Amino acid sequence: MTSLQLARRNAWRKPYRTLLLMFCVAVAILIYGLTQSFLAGSQGTGGASDNLLGVFNKAGRSQSLPMSYLGRIAADSDVAAVSYMARMRGFAGTQSNVVMTSAVDPRSMAAVNGRELGLTADLLAGLDRTRDSVLVGKALAQAQGWSVGQRIGVTAFQMTGTNGSRDWSFEIAGIFEGADASTDTYFMIARYDYINAARAQGKDMVDGFVVRPRDGVSPGVLASRIDALFANSAAPTRTQSEKQFLEAFIRQFADIGLIINLVVGAAFTTIMMIVINTMAFAVRERTFEIGVLKTLGFSRGRIMALVLGETLFISVIGGLAGLAGAKCATMLAGPALGLSLTPLVAGKTAIVIIALGLLGGLLPAVNAMRMPIINAFRSR
Amino acid sequence: MTGTIGKEPYIEIRGVRKGFSFGAEKVAIFSDLSLNIARGDFVAVMGPSGSGKSTLLNMLSGIDRPDSGKVRIGDSHLEQMGESAKAAWRAHNLGIVFQFYNLLPMLNTAQNVELPLLLKPLSRRQRAERVDTVLDLVGLDGRQKQYPASMSGGQQQRVGIARAIVTDPGLLLCDEPTGDLDCKSANDILEMLRLLNRELNKTIVMVTHDPEAAGFARRTLHLNKGEFTEQFQREPEDLAPQPHRDEAMEQGVARQ
Ligand SMILES: Nc1ncnc2c1ncn2[C@@H]1O[C@H](COP(=O)(O)OP(=O)(O)O)[C@@H](O)[C@H]1O
Ligand SMILES: [Mg+2]
Repeated sequence: MTSLQLARRNAWRKPYRTLLLMFCVAVAILIYGLTQSFLAGSQGTGGASDNLLGVFNKAGRSQSLPMSYLGRIAADSDVAAVSYMARMRGFAGTQSNVVMTSAVDPRSMAAVNGRELGLTADLLAGLDRTRDSVLVGKALAQAQGWSVGQRIGVTAFQMTGTNGSRDWSFEIAGIFEGADASTDTYFMIARYDYINAARAQGKDMVDGFVVRPRDGVSPGVLASRIDALFANSAAPTRTQSEKQFLEAFIRQFADIGLIINLVVGAAFTTIMMIVINTMAFAVRERTFEIGVLKTLGFSRGRIMALVLGETLFISVIGGLAGLAGAKCATMLAGPALGLSLTPLVAGKTAIVIIALGLLGGLLPAVNAMRMPIINAFRSR
Repeated sequence: MTGTIGKEPYIEIRGVRKGFSFGAEKVAIFSDLSLNIARGDFVAVMGPSGSGKSTLLNMLSGIDRPDSGKVRIGDSHLEQMGESAKAAWRAHNLGIVFQFYNLLPMLNTAQNVELPLLLKPLSRRQRAERVDTVLDLVGLDGRQKQYPASMSGGQQQRVGIARAIVTDPGLLLCDEPTGDLDCKSANDILEMLRLLNRELNKTIVMVTHDPEAAGFARRTLHLNKGEFTEQFQREPEDLAPQPHRDEAMEQGVARQ
């Protein structure tokens, strides 16, 4: 037997209670891990870039801007690269199966955020091959079960072709993976020249420009300078970083987000309090036995370590189960829901697990450590 | 008759005052208690309930401290020592046997006995060997894996004794070690304590209600109203025949 085994023995004194505690910890950690994964994922702002600026119509993102703005934006010496895009909202098969397509100029797109999206030279060459080639994001391809070389049909909600149809056909030239797990890859990239030539309305209009500022340039300063360029034109612009936009966007749903946060937070806190309280109670129950250990010559430090070892044992076992559950969830449903259990999230969760074990044990451990043996014996 | 063998007594209690307060009221247990115990002695402490017998033992084990006065055991002045120093001292010098055994229910016999050894720099194997040795000594060999709940009181008390002696301490403190046992088991335990005293030269202080139990000690102290009212020194002839008695006594003297 070792001190660690002794702590484990103590923890298993009431197996039912211990299992229940571990289960509670697992659920709490699952909740925590999923919430954090969501925030770190593509639906949160975690993966959003602070470096890229988006130039959109001030009247709203659904309004377009003239292509002619491109030259004036590119002329600013603080702009390293600029690209443009038109977005096509559509669906594949059923209406609820929404598919977003960004029609871009591949060359300038690659210069602006090719690295973030993981656009390799091979992928770009594939896009060049035929006019209706598309690159599909990994998350989207996985969700739809699409593969390279496949011909797919997307029905646009609005955009009609010159032939009067809203059905668009594309050939998948490649699949882009994104620079890391938190990159949103639930969309596809088509060629602007093809879409622009084939659409009936809105020719030579774009939904926005994407700007990469030069290194060392303040994105905020550049953004206001760009907006100033077009302030007195027919279509004034609003320039924001992707992150700013997403944050503003998420804030639109503030009440829903707040409710989710409150419910999740309340559940998490409640479980934590139950766990901490129960662990504290379990230790207090053994005041007498701790007194016995002290008479055998166990020092205060050892008693403290023993109690903390026991609560840590419970929280680590339960916590790892919860973390494993969160990992499974992000792997099974992750891409579509934009969940991403990054190493950072896993690290934060590990800290929560340790903190829980220490918190649950600390108060009773300090009490156990301090209590005079004589009182411990009179507790019976 | 001071009970001292040799010049410096092993245990020295001098001028101890101790009381407990119940709210505003302060009740004195001892106002001026003094006592010497020689190394190798086996002392029984008797007295009415509430006379302070346990309090005396608690001060000897360092789990309670006197309000004033001196409690010295060997070179250690317990009244001056801090909690961690006393814990370390207990780990090396002291074994305690309790009336209700105080075994940890989730540990089996071997693990209960091993507990104090966790505080020593011993390998797993060395610990196991020591545990087996003392379990053999108390007649529990082969019961290593048995749990306290499935043992009789007498057996549990043997485990308690094994745990108290596994670190080979010089001093054993026993608070009513037979108070919860039937006659036969009590006798076995008392025989064992006598053996530990005679053969292994353990100094033993045993609190008991039972005059027969006290009969196993070398001498008996009566505690009443905070004082030792009577010291009854058994004559050697009164003792039950002990084959190695004289030898043990000599060793006791020699070690002073
Ligand atoms: N920790 C304590 N707090 C208050 N009173 C105590 C405490 N320990 C003992 N006493 C009181 O001191 C007296 C002596 O107790 P104790 O030493 O246990 O007696 P004995 O063991 O001889 O029966 C009793 O009246 C008891 O109530
Ligand atoms: Mg008592």
